[in-house]
Amino acid sequence: MQNFKNRLVIVTVILGIAFLVLASRLWYLQVLKGDEFEEFSLDNRIRIQRVPAPRGRILDRFGRELVVNRPSFDVYALPDEIQEVEGLSVSLSGVLDLEPSVLGKKLNSAQKNSRFSPVLLAKDINRDQLAYIEARKSTLPGLIVEVNNLRKYPRGKLGASFLGYIGKVSEEELKKDPKINSNDLVGKSGIEKNWQSYLRGVDGYIQSVTDALGRGVDSNLFIKDLTNKKSVSGNDVILTIDIDIQSGAEEALGEEAGSIVVVDVNTGEVLALASNPTFNPEDFIKGIDSKTWSELINDKSYPLLNRSTQGVYAPGSVFKVVPVVAALKEGVINPDTLVNCPGYYKLGRNTFRCWKRGGHGLVNLRLAVVQSCDVYFYKLAEKLGIDRLSRYIKLFGFGSLTGIGIEERPGISPSREWKLKKFNKPWYQGETLVSAIGQGYVSVTPIQIAMMTAAVANGGAILKPNIVRKIKTREGETVVQNSAQVVGTIPLGEDKIALLQDALVGVVNDPGGTGRRARIEGYTVAGKTGTAQVVSLDYQSDRKKHGDHAWFMSYAPAEAPEIAVVVLVEHGGKGGAVAAPLAKQIIELYKKLQETRDLDDNV
Amino acid sequence: MFDRRLLIGFGWSLFFMTIAFSCIALLNLYSASYQTGLASFKKQLAWVGIGILTMVLISFINYRLLKRYSLYIYGLSILLLIYVLFFGKEVSGSSSWIQIGSLGTIQPSEFIKIPLILALARFYDNDYQQGPYGFLDLIKPASLVALPLALVMMQPDLGTGLTIILISGSMVLFMGVRKRSVAFILIALLALSYPAWNFFLKPYQKDRIKTFLEPSRDPLDAGYNAIQSQIAVGSGRIVGKGFKAGSQSQLKFIPAQQTDFAFSVLAEEWGFLGGIFTLLLYFMIILWILDTSGRSRDKFSMLVSFGIAAMFFWHVLVNVGMVVGLLPVTGVPLLIFSYGGSSTLTAFIGIGVVLGIRMRKFSMSGEAIGLR
Repeated sequence: MQNFKNRLVIVTVILGIAFLVLASRLWYLQVLKGDEFEEFSLDNRIRIQRVPAPRGRILDRFGRELVVNRPSFDVYALPDEIQEVEGLSVSLSGVLDLEPSVLGKKLNSAQKNSRFSPVLLAKDINRDQLAYIEARKSTLPGLIVEVNNLRKYPRGKLGASFLGYIGKVSEEELKKDPKINSNDLVGKSGIEKNWQSYLRGVDGYIQSVTDALGRGVDSNLFIKDLTNKKSVSGNDVILTIDIDIQSGAEEALGEEAGSIVVVDVNTGEVLALASNPTFNPEDFIKGIDSKTWSELINDKSYPLLNRSTQGVYAPGSVFKVVPVVAALKEGVINPDTLVNCPGYYKLGRNTFRCWKRGGHGLVNLRLAVVQSCDVYFYKLAEKLGIDRLSRYIKLFGFGSLTGIGIEERPGISPSREWKLKKFNKPWYQGETLVSAIGQGYVSVTPIQIAMMTAAVANGGAILKPNIVRKIKTREGETVVQNSAQVVGTIPLGEDKIALLQDALVGVVNDPGGTGRRARIEGYTVAGKTGTAQVVSLDYQSDRKKHGDHAWFMSYAPAEAPEIAVVVLVEHGGKGGAVAAPLAKQIIELYKKLQETRDLDDNV
Repeated sequence: MFDRRLLIGFGWSLFFMTIAFSCIALLNLYSASYQTGLASFKKQLAWVGIGILTMVLISFINYRLLKRYSLYIYGLSILLLIYVLFFGKEVSGSSSWIQIGSLGTIQPSEFIKIPLILALARFYDNDYQQGPYGFLDLIKPASLVALPLALVMMQPDLGTGLTIILISGSMVLFMGVRKRSVAFILIALLALSYPAWNFFLKPYQKDRIKTFLEPSRDPLDAGYNAIQSQIAVGSGRIVGKGFKAGSQSQLKFIPAQQTDFAFSVLAEEWGFLGGIFTLLLYFMIILWILDTSGRSRDKFSMLVSFGIAAMFFWHVLVNVGMVVGLLPVTGVPLLIFSYGGSSTLTAFIGIGVVLGIRMRKFSMSGEAIGLR
């Protein structure tokens, strides 16, 4: 037995070691690492519920609402708390407009799979449905109604092309902005996208105690100080747009595909930016369904394209302003020199036609502008040469982005280098001639033409267009304030600019002017027509594929210019016949508004 | 007839330590089952009551009777194990339970431990061999172990199987094994472990072992238990979060908190101080049982006490080792402390047997010799 007694001593030692091992492990976990594990246990039980921040509003220059938010009441079911699936789905199916079997299936599978996470039953229920559910809350256990924010468009489709639409955030966008949540709707185009960082707010949160199954626990026995954070609303974006002019412009366009741009010639502020056809932003409110989306992107009339800033067109004769400025500055012509127009112009072995087959006879600069004589400009272009001409094309901002503050395209400002780079071919002199009348490689956006018009109207200041006037927090503090920004100057003296302006007045007011249909009695309109031959680009509407684009650029009143109006009607035909009357409509509206209304744009 | 010495020799200190430990266990279980309506607390209260009664009754049985009938007791337990294999109630994948009225279910695999200890002790007691045992000598005790082990593993009940191996292994080693044989057995076990891993272990069992080796491998599933348990223990810090105030337990982050992970609840709510105190009490009980073993005058009672001490020892080591993340997650309860009628009753029976041996250590009279 003594043998075993010795062994028992060894066993007792082993027992002691085992105790020390366990005890030191407890010491390690509880004393050395205790604070760390305390953190873990806090993380475990505190649930952070997001409080979504409302997106900022988008307002017009007078503070009138274009895009706002409205509450969306979403119905969720807590599978865990639902006692009788059948009864609930029957009593809900009537009010939620859902088949009882569909509802039942949803609830049943939720009870099996994720008993404790809420299941969305219906999004954005109406007032009657809300009233019904709220009134029966006590008899319908396990139902909760959550309030979210949805976009609302009080003016419907008005301005949709520049306001843009929203959609589910993409991976890339998530990476760029850590304050976005993976389920958020973010701006995908227009103001909504380009000013997203101002419009989106900062979400808040509510902390609550939950158990291991994710269920809320009433008691705060297990936690002392829960912190909540209020959500911060997004900033309001106040546009330069005037809703009245915008709707006037959209009405003027009507069913025609095209664009109307109205800018303040002295500030570069965009008063209206109409583009047709367009889309309905309401379709995007809850995230667009794939059917509507594929219809939109496959639509050959390109409703998602903002033609005012992204539509690239040959400008036709409205472009003649550029060679006039170039020629006057470079001194290649005397404004009074007469040029004979026989209806064509020969350059080497090539013949270039004037739009008037019979010819204009003898014309000076003013008459050439008023009657839009192409031969005069061919001659002028030949003298200028492409190198000098393209300098002035660039000066007016063609071929580059204006910086308006939404998506845009630069168009093309052709030059020798450009052609060599693009086609690896030398420049031909004939191409200079067609460039001078706004054909050939030259392509522009309506907003670029509008800024050129404004520069002529205001006496030479080439301005950066702005569509955003200011940005304010919900509390009214101004965060961003845009003001007029001069990006270039027409290098002509006052007298020479006056000469050009006078010619443009003649276009509308002279008996032989091409823009007479924009004439307003007692209010001097200046303008220039354009009829651009079409080299059909794929986004321009299929409908009248080969018709000319009708252009009209104008400003008024000529004595002390205030606004510039640029009209483009795709495949509309003659600028003077189709586009000029629309410009007249807008200018008349503007005049009437100036006389009658009393709105303060100091919002 | 009644020997007054029996009462004087009664192991009051073991008795009271056991009662004290039971009280802590019940208090802890009260907290652990508080959120779910105290159902397990009430049942365990009944089982502890039955256990204490059984313990006292068994202490009055002369252990020599136990020795005489040990093979019958062993055989009866084996029959129960066979019965459960065919007619057992299946709970979470193992058919280990027999329904007994309203008290719930019993688990015969827990009850096999004491009969096995008795049978092994009887084998060694009858054997006069001196010196360490060789491999061939061990065939007989090994088959005593292998039979219930096979039956338990067939259920399958990995946890109980493990404790059977550990307890009987301790007893065999304590009685001495030739060094060569130990080496031989170890090599055989290593050789067997390869087919065991590949063919015998169930995927969830492999998972548990892998998870133990690397808990962050699968933090939401198999590793979840181990991690949450350590968070509970650690966050209890020195003095604990207080009775019924452990967030990990009350909010159900600790899995199986009334059974295998009951000690996590204690460590969270009573902290390092409570945990150490309880562990100390538990080890004192083991020490006291070992002391009884040391004072024994015959091999049988010495080995029975030793086996019971081993039972308590391995349960605390494997269970608390698991709770504090030192050992993998196995279904080994902390005796009396974990909710469960069968393991609780087994523990009380074991202590009853030890008490019975303790109070008869003075009565090594002729009567005893005659019985031999």
